[in-house]
Amino acid sequence: MENTQPEGGENNRDLEVAPALISVHPTQDSVAVAVGSDLRVFDLRGNCAVTLVDETGEAFHKDSIRAIRYGANGKLFVSSGDDKLVKVWSTDSWRCIASVCSEKRVSAVAVSNDGLYVCYADKFGVVWVVDLHGLDGNETLVNKKASPLLAHYCSIITSLEFSPDGRFIVTADRDFKIRVTVFPKKPLDGAHEIQSFCLGHTEFVSCLAFLFTVDYPQGFLVSGGGDSTVRLWDINPGTLLDTCEFGSKAGIVDYKGNEVSCSTVTDLCTIPGSNVVAVAVQSLQGILLVSCDLSSQTFGAVKVISNMGDSFIPTSLGCSSSAELLWTITGVSKTSRF
Amino acid sequence: MLENEANPTISKSTGLPRKRFYRARAHSNPLSDSHFPVPISPSHVDFSLHYPQFSSEVSCIKKVQFADIGCGFGGLLISLSTFSPETLMIGMELRDKVAEYVKERILALRATNPGQYQNVSVVRTNSMKYIPNYFEKGQLTKMFFLFPDPHFKEKNHRRRVISPHLLDEYAHVLEVGGIIYTITDVEELGEWMKTCLDNHPMFEALTEQELQADPAVKLLSTATEEGQKVARNGGQTFQAVYKRIALSLIHNGTLRLLKPDH
Repeated sequence: MENTQPEGGENNRDLEVAPALISVHPTQDSVAVAVGSDLRVFDLRGNCAVTLVDETGEAFHKDSIRAIRYGANGKLFVSSGDDKLVKVWSTDSWRCIASVCSEKRVSAVAVSNDGLYVCYADKFGVVWVVDLHGLDGNETLVNKKASPLLAHYCSIITSLEFSPDGRFIVTADRDFKIRVTVFPKKPLDGAHEIQSFCLGHTEFVSCLAFLFTVDYPQGFLVSGGGDSTVRLWDINPGTLLDTCEFGSKAGIVDYKGNEVSCSTVTDLCTIPGSNVVAVAVQSLQGILLVSCDLSSQTFGAVKVISNMGDSFIPTSLGCSSSAELLWTITGVSKTSRF
Repeated sequence: MLENEANPTISKSTGLPRKRFYRARAHSNPLSDSHFPVPISPSHVDFSLHYPQFSSEVSCIKKVQFADIGCGFGGLLISLSTFSPETLMIGMELRDKVAEYVKERILALRATNPGQYQNVSVVRTNSMKYIPNYFEKGQLTKMFFLFPDPHFKEKNHRRRVISPHLLDEYAHVLEVGGIIYTITDVEELGEWMKTCLDNHPMFEALTEQELQADPAVKLLSTATEEGQKVARNGGQTFQAVYKRIALSLIHNGTLRLLKPDH
């Protein structure tokens, strides 16, 4: 287990704070961290910090970054958040190759598997798509316009994921719903065909991830929510396969040492090529590892990893395809500098 | 059973609820978080409570097929009930008092007309958010949107019940071949609804012949209190009736139909 822990400041309850985020390059070439409006990338091959180049009109992020991820087999990196800018970076040159203006603050981002489209969700529940055709990393596309793809009526979208085979785009919201929509050949015309709804959470859905192996290439959807559960789904019919109520198993205690009965899932990370899901839970000083039996489509044992240092409550998790290391991060932003 | 003497809200002569005790404003904010129970999923709804006479068949064989979205005081539902007595139908209404009125009205009609009105019910909910919680994919054969709130200001257009994004959800719960009926007395809204439906790849307008052949079309302007008021005032109505079709793509100039994934 490797940990990175930037100097997280005390969080002032009166200010809106953004949790620290981490994302790992699929072949572990680099790791990116965002705290507040700061975005930092570390080159793991060259063992040095990366200098980001942003020559678009609005350089870097001016407000809390809410979502980051690598996409398209690591060739692209996307960052976005409260400053209503979605920035697409080339991971070869670490230049910002596209900067898209959103009307509202952005809550989630995803990149299509072929790297041709970037999707982002705003606070009104609308998911937008940006066409990246023709980008070769040398030119910069500014004022790229996004088209509306789909919407969850007046609900904040918390997570956005493409299915492993690229056929579907899955969106989760704060009204307990998960929607699976067919990702069309022409996304700019909108994604109108709903495949299914995955309904079962009794509280807001906070994160999504796909669990897939060589034997199960289409994979299964895993979701975490405010109802202290991690759930397993078959997205084609929208069936709930199994629910893991980890609350009692984890023996989660709050800062006073009292047992907490209800804990929100703050992040999920599937370990590629395995049947294990790593779960970060609010108030848990450590992480949960939940195993899954893919043939019987049920959850198995839950293991708590808690020897990670005092007060280390992970806010974000990341893992590369080689699945050697699970990266965790903790901390929250203060105002502009942490 | 209804206690007519003790309960002044029910008329002694007809046994029906009196509207003046269920007064509500015409407008209700669909964005406000009202506190009403929301089912986790369609399988969590106990439809046998809504249709006691059909309770043995409901959820095994028979499912709700007609939905009146924003059913108001229930005029259309009552007409549809006798029009299609073997079909289960439900009204969705956001306003508490109005939904209560419809419930009382149905109970009263069931009491005074034994064997009838057993196929109709009402639920208080925000249909713009929770339709997928009540209906499964391809379950409905008819959806009605009669005289919806026009939300005149441009910034409020996103609150309109017929909108490009919400049509995705309505297409999801309607079976292929199912019909969506809309009518309004506000011309601009009529244009808006027609445009949204024209632009959506999963809806196609009914031909003149199909409209003539569908008996439900006549009910749009005559069956509801709102429709009758418009007729009384000599107003004009604008209807848009569309069929749910399989997703179609215009590919290289030729129409290519895709089978929906089930």
